Amino acid sequence: MNDTSNRANQEAVLALCQITKEFPGVVALDRVDLTIRRNELVGLVGENGAGKSVLMKIMIGLIQPDGGTIKLHGEPITLKNPSDAIRNGIGMVFQEGSLVPNLSVTENLFLCHEADFRKLGILSLRSMRAAARELLTQMKLHIDVDLTVAEISPAERQMVEIARLLWLSQVYGHDNPVLILDEPTTVLADKERETLFSILQDIKKRVSIVLISHRLQEIVENCSKIVVLKDGKNVTEMAASEARLLKVEQLMVGHSFSADRFHEDEQRTRGEKEILRVENLRKAGSFQPLSFTVGEGEIVGLIGLVGSGKEEVCKCLAGLERADAGSITLDGRKLPSGSPSSAVRAGLGHIPIDRRSEGLALMMNVAENVNLLVLNRLKAGGFLSPARERKNARHWVAECQIKTPSIATLCSNLSGGNQQKTVISKWLSSRVRLLILDHPTRGVDVGAKDEIYKLMRKLAKEGIGMLMMCDTLEEDIGLANRLLVMKDGRLVKEVDSSPKMKPNPQDIISLIV
Amino acid sequence: MVAMKQGDQPETRKRLTRKWKIPPVYITVALLGIVGLLFYLGNPNFLTPYNLNTIISFSAILLMVALGQMCTILVGGIDLSVGGLVSFISVAFILLIKPIGYFAYPVCILVGVLAGYINGIILTRIKIPSFIATLGTGGILTSLAYLVSPRPVNLAPSLYSVVDIVNGSLFKVSNVLYVGLAVLILYYVILRFTSTGRNIFYIGSNIKMSWMSGINIVKTRNIAFMLSGLGAALVGITMSSIRYGGDPVVGTAYVLNSIAAVVVGGTALTGGTGGVINTVFGALFMSMLDNGMTVVGIDQYLQQTILGVMVIIGVTLTFDRTKTPIVK
Repeated sequence: MNDTSNRANQEAVLALCQITKEFPGVVALDRVDLTIRRNELVGLVGENGAGKSVLMKIMIGLIQPDGGTIKLHGEPITLKNPSDAIRNGIGMVFQEGSLVPNLSVTENLFLCHEADFRKLGILSLRSMRAAARELLTQMKLHIDVDLTVAEISPAERQMVEIARLLWLSQVYGHDNPVLILDEPTTVLADKERETLFSILQDIKKRVSIVLISHRLQEIVENCSKIVVLKDGKNVTEMAASEARLLKVEQLMVGHSFSADRFHEDEQRTRGEKEILRVENLRKAGSFQPLSFTVGEGEIVGLIGLVGSGKEEVCKCLAGLERADAGSITLDGRKLPSGSPSSAVRAGLGHIPIDRRSEGLALMMNVAENVNLLVLNRLKAGGFLSPARERKNARHWVAECQIKTPSIATLCSNLSGGNQQKTVISKWLSSRVRLLILDHPTRGVDVGAKDEIYKLMRKLAKEGIGMLMMCDTLEEDIGLANRLLVMKDGRLVKEVDSSPKMKPNPQDIISLIV
Repeated sequence: MVAMKQGDQPETRKRLTRKWKIPPVYITVALLGIVGLLFYLGNPNFLTPYNLNTIISFSAILLMVALGQMCTILVGGIDLSVGGLVSFISVAFILLIKPIGYFAYPVCILVGVLAGYINGIILTRIKIPSFIATLGTGGILTSLAYLVSPRPVNLAPSLYSVVDIVNGSLFKVSNVLYVGLAVLILYYVILRFTSTGRNIFYIGSNIKMSWMSGINIVKTRNIAFMLSGLGAALVGITMSSIRYGGDPVVGTAYVLNSIAAVVVGGTALTGGTGGVINTVFGALFMSMLDNGMTVVGIDQYLQQTILGVMVIIGVTLTFDRTKTPIVK
């Protein structure tokens, strides 16, 4: 990584200047700069919601920025869509992959560009195969080009995607394309990870790479430059040789906690009554047997990396997935496994991470969304009573401070924060005992975040137990009474998080990584 | 906080409505007026009380099957079997009157609801998309109609009194209108004032959210298809009653016309938005078009072309295409 020293005299391949992007109710990127030079491996880090993926999507034309310019070799350009981006030598390997599983490696490599291999009007499979082998050999890969993509390993799939992007940029005549890798290592085993990085170091001679990863260690070890984003803003940019893991962590999390941002004064202690008891819950391939409880008015933070099994635990509790064994007891009653309707009836509410696709009927109005779970209570003489519906909806709109012109406003017209409050009020009106909050402040602005924090404190006072997974560690620590730390499918530690005695984020990070 | 940006209409509104905030149902009403005026200019007889009565009677019949169709569309499906069901009920009703008399009514209604239930089961239990499932059952029902009676059957004049329940009139208004009105009220009440009705909308709007919120999706979808079967059965009975005979081809037109009435009324094919009032205007529009073209003397074969064009224009104006990324 000696190229950091002569970085200054290297030409900027791609420069993003003052990029701004706003979504309804939230500023995702606020005047962000990012410069990628020749043969550079840039590590882009930040917590969930810091704006990394939005920035990447802007770089490949999937999202158009509201402000700022993108310069390619010094020339301002507009990227209309991903195929436009790859024509300009910018390509991305997505986390979930974008290959066609039932086509062969060869076919995937040259998908939509088969015409290049036409001989006398007919596709020459032989020359396609030969070209595929050559491409993969260049990257020191040994993959049978006739296998379908479904048959090769996740690591190999990534390599094939990288090879495809390299080939495409070659076709479009770019000698130094920009390759974006979105968390490439999450699905890889240790050995495969090493292979990936040795290949990246190798192809760095002819490309610039932007690497997004949650594993700071590998970023610090492999990148030449590290860019830290927080809350949609540039925090810092530093040469990796100067970076210390701890320093980067601090920058990601933020320097210090603003005074009582999470209303810790109002944090109540766990009540006598036990609301949720989970015993030896187990799901093969997701998490090992684990047991925990949530008490009355207690907020429990479930933390861990993506893939630690925490999402699956919550899904099993809400009945969205079936656990292999173990028991879930809510308010003394055992819940059947894999039945959302019995979980709902028993008083278990679930605020999903994606409120637009899982939390709301967007084309229906606020009242209809708020009343969803309690229709039976709003009946008079066997039929829904419009008067009672309005009354219930108005009550909860006021109670949760949903800012809406009227209860007949369509939910799609509300801002992210108010949509979230609508989802919460839907569960509250059904008198839940336990709420699972899956990233409750995802995609809402600072003001709405505060209102959601206040709302959670209020719910705790009313005795509702909460199990939450948050966007940021400081949010988890600030809100929770207790933290459950998960790592690789195991519940590794329980950390007390009483007010005035909050654990240190750095200590927690060392537990989850 | 940012809260509401006023004037920030949802991306989910059709072109016209986005500009002027007109609910789709008004566009349908406007279309109704414009096309009606054109027919009147073509032939002033179009607006005689006699002809208007004809249009309204036909609307009432189309409305029954369209309201059922609307339930399946609202819940995110479609019912292509209504044509076959109308045909089958049409002949079965006439043939049943001789042996069982007035009992033909409840039997036929039950058969219709049962056919809808089977459609629902194929969708919810065997998990075959309703498009294919009802295409299949529709074919079966059409075939059954021909098997029962390959040719139109006439009712013996001695039994005419049985069908007068539908064919007769009260206070100089045809009973068909009362039946249509009763069906209209029934579907309105179900969709507006029952949990099942509300669940139909929730499921059509967001099926994943509905499942996660514990709504019984299997039951609700089955009921939606049973409502469609009910509507189709009533149309079969009505058609046979006013013609004093059953005909195995009588239902054919109702597949396209019922879907067109629903969609022209402004109900989204993706489910979740729309309603009874929309479909009333949709049914009126389709019936008026059908009748008006004959009144002004447009060639029988050309009528189909114009009908097709008008459906496309109507849907263009009312259907919210921006909402659906992929149109199936």
